[in-house]
Amino acid sequence: MKKLGLFLLPLLLFLLVSVFLLQGLFSDPTARQSSLLNRPVPEFSLADVMDDSVRYGPEVFAGEVTLLNVWGTWCVTCAYELPFLTGLREQGVRIVGLYYEQDLDPDFGAKSVSQIRQDIHKTLGQWGNPYAFNIFDQQRSLSLDLGVSGAPETFLIDAEGKIRLHHIGDVNERVWQEKFLPVYEQVSDNVAALKESGE
Amino acid sequence: MLAELGHFSLVLALLMAILLAIYPLWGAQRGNAALMATARPLALGTFLFTAFSYFCLSWAFFENDFSVAYVAHNSNTLLPWYYRLTAVWGGHEGSFLLWVLIFSVWTVAVALFSRSIPQEILSRVLGVLGLVGVGFYLYMLLASNPFERLLPFFPVDGRDLNPLLQDFGMIIHPPLLYMGYVGFSVVFAFAIAALIAGRLDSTWARWSRPWTLAAWVFLTLGIALGSWWAYKELGWGGWWFWDPVENASFMPWLVGTALLHSLAVTEKRKVFKSWTVLLAISAFCLSLLGTFLVRSGILVSVHSFASDPTRGLFILALLMLVIGGSLLLYALRAPQLRSIGRYQLLSREMMLIGNNILLSAATLVVLLGTLLPLVHKELGLGSISIGAPFFDQMFVYLVVPFVFLLAMGPLSRWKQQSLSALRSQVLQALLISIGAALLLSLGTDPFSYMATLGLLLSLLIVVTTVQEIRQRLAGDGEVLVQLKKLTPSHWGMVLGHLGFAVMIIGIAMVTSFSIERDVRMSPGDSIDLAGYTFRLDGVKPLQGPNYTGHVAIMDIYQNGEKYSHVEAEKRFYTVQRSVMTEAAIDVGVTRDLYVALGEQLNNGAWALRVYVKPFIRWIWAGALLMAIGGCLSLSDKRYRLKKRAHDPVSATSERVQEAC
Repeated sequence: MKKLGLFLLPLLLFLLVSVFLLQGLFSDPTARQSSLLNRPVPEFSLADVMDDSVRYGPEVFAGEVTLLNVWGTWCVTCAYELPFLTGLREQGVRIVGLYYEQDLDPDFGAKSVSQIRQDIHKTLGQWGNPYAFNIFDQQRSLSLDLGVSGAPETFLIDAEGKIRLHHIGDVNERVWQEKFLPVYEQVSDNVAALKESGE
Repeated sequence: MLAELGHFSLVLALLMAILLAIYPLWGAQRGNAALMATARPLALGTFLFTAFSYFCLSWAFFENDFSVAYVAHNSNTLLPWYYRLTAVWGGHEGSFLLWVLIFSVWTVAVALFSRSIPQEILSRVLGVLGLVGVGFYLYMLLASNPFERLLPFFPVDGRDLNPLLQDFGMIIHPPLLYMGYVGFSVVFAFAIAALIAGRLDSTWARWSRPWTLAAWVFLTLGIALGSWWAYKELGWGGWWFWDPVENASFMPWLVGTALLHSLAVTEKRKVFKSWTVLLAISAFCLSLLGTFLVRSGILVSVHSFASDPTRGLFILALLMLVIGGSLLLYALRAPQLRSIGRYQLLSREMMLIGNNILLSAATLVVLLGTLLPLVHKELGLGSISIGAPFFDQMFVYLVVPFVFLLAMGPLSRWKQQSLSALRSQVLQALLISIGAALLLSLGTDPFSYMATLGLLLSLLIVVTTVQEIRQRLAGDGEVLVQLKKLTPSHWGMVLGHLGFAVMIIGIAMVTSFSIERDVRMSPGDSIDLAGYTFRLDGVKPLQGPNYTGHVAIMDIYQNGEKYSHVEAEKRFYTVQRSVMTEAAIDVGVTRDLYVALGEQLNNGAWALRVYVKPFIRWIWAGALLMAIGGCLSLSDKRYRLKKRAHDPVSATSERVQEAC
């Protein structure tokens, strides 16, 4: 019997390790993303991409359900989703752009701000302009705080300025119907209810 | 359409694997020859359907079929065609398909090349492989299907392959590594089959040895290639980072090395049986654990793919079944294995068991170092990180006794070795190596204890290897004729040990004498380093097929004369928006000159990293030598003795006289 114990040792060791592996599976990596949900948009103060003198903070999301769309003129898929987003705007959805410029990377020689503005005019002229306005995330600080991993990404922010949905990749008819619309309708009801009680 | 066929083909492969897991094992248990005979065709079928499935995915990549989700995530129209084909294993699903493909290649190889093995044992081995295969096919089909479509809304262009993987080294690194990882499944299957049958003799060890060697050679090459790739692509001039994923591949290698030696003892001397079986199981289990660590994203590392707890859970369940099941079987059956050989305290057996203990200790160090941060976090003690210093220190402690055993092992006899003969040989070797190491170290500036120690250890291996060959040649006759008498597997051992010596020199020199400078340079500036003058001629813009960037053009002068011209690139991959350095390296036997382009500073100046890396090539040369040694051993004709296999007594008695 004593001998059997010795030969059981590898098995016991492995079982011990797997307990930790199991726990490890459900900790950290997913924690970061979900922690943003149902929290207010992080603090920020950034300029409008077209006009340095106009500055925005988290208060721009108050009072109205908003889609925050992370994009850039360099991003192929972003251009692809612009017509669809423009369609949404025409249906009355408020969309705010978070402009994210890769060519401002100091490692790669700057693209001047006026050049960026020209590019934006060109792209939006070509594909449609869904944006109420564009926040210029020059240092990518807000993107980092939001946990943006690339472009395009879209956040659904409710009237209290809380993030309700984070979508990575382009927004199209299917994604809108399946993912966004249920949440959008839910939070829009809230807004309607709030407005009624306010009146 | 082809993607659906590939998917369907994968389902057929699963069905084949299920049959393979049932019929041959059942047949072997009942002694039913007809059922056992299904093993070979089923193994072949599994392979063919998997291969077709793999072809379908490759085709989807080649044709830029972005309606396949996996293709859309890992490829791009701008990607050159050869990277489109290697992008198949650039992500999670595809690399699993490659894993499964290689697994089926090994299975079919066992079916084809084991005609000398009795049908009953072969059926069990293939059955066990089928059993393991079922788990992985199920995993692919249920949790990680590479053929998933993005219909009807698919993207116009793909997200591109991770730029880190767009390199020649990356084309062959994963397949080689997987060949090694998965290759241990064969030895594993042999061990499990032997435990099921309750029979484990020296023929078992002899059948297992070539498969272990083959897997070990692939793993050695795979790891060395990974190290070389990291050196070239990551831009820091490091060759080993103790990154969790590197560790995951290093652990099976350490255990595999121990297994190689332990199998030799079990074959020759019929001892250490239960230990050898445990190593055979562990080598594959650690490979699986490595796969889990990489694929589940449980440990954060540069290698990790996107994490997904369902997948991790599935693989963990699979691990529990495979590893837990086999260790349970081991616990139940191993106590019955009897070792019959006897040996003295001073004998080759003891040297080899010592080497095994040290290799296992090294594996435990790596395992602990890799998992401790996780355990620490889960116990609520906060995040810690165990870095290179811990591993470096532990390995220095371990390598010294290891080298002494390695030096004495081949000199010693089986069973019993006379102390006085060994002592005089080892003393002689030690004196020669100390003297030579000190002389060599005097030439270095500054003097380094670690480098001297490395030289000493390495020379000790070389001198004792020469002594050992001379000992073999002690008989009379022409030296050349006698050298020819040594078996290929003996030369394999010699090369393997010399390769290790060469690697130690490389490691000792690089860690002790590397010169690293981070400098700011404008075009026209130059700096002096280790007798070389590096002059930056200019930095030009760069335009590649799917990237843009800058290239620094440098001339290197020695003694006022132009010596070399290098171009260090910094690339920006537009679709993935990530920056990659392509270091410029002037390769040399005794030193590498290494230049990496950093950030652009103001006034047209650039940050550059300029390194001189002495003897770094020796590290990979050593690994290559070891791999060649493995191939030589593999070529030994005694692994192909077909008739004798049925007659273990005469085969064993003959082999006892042989070397290694």
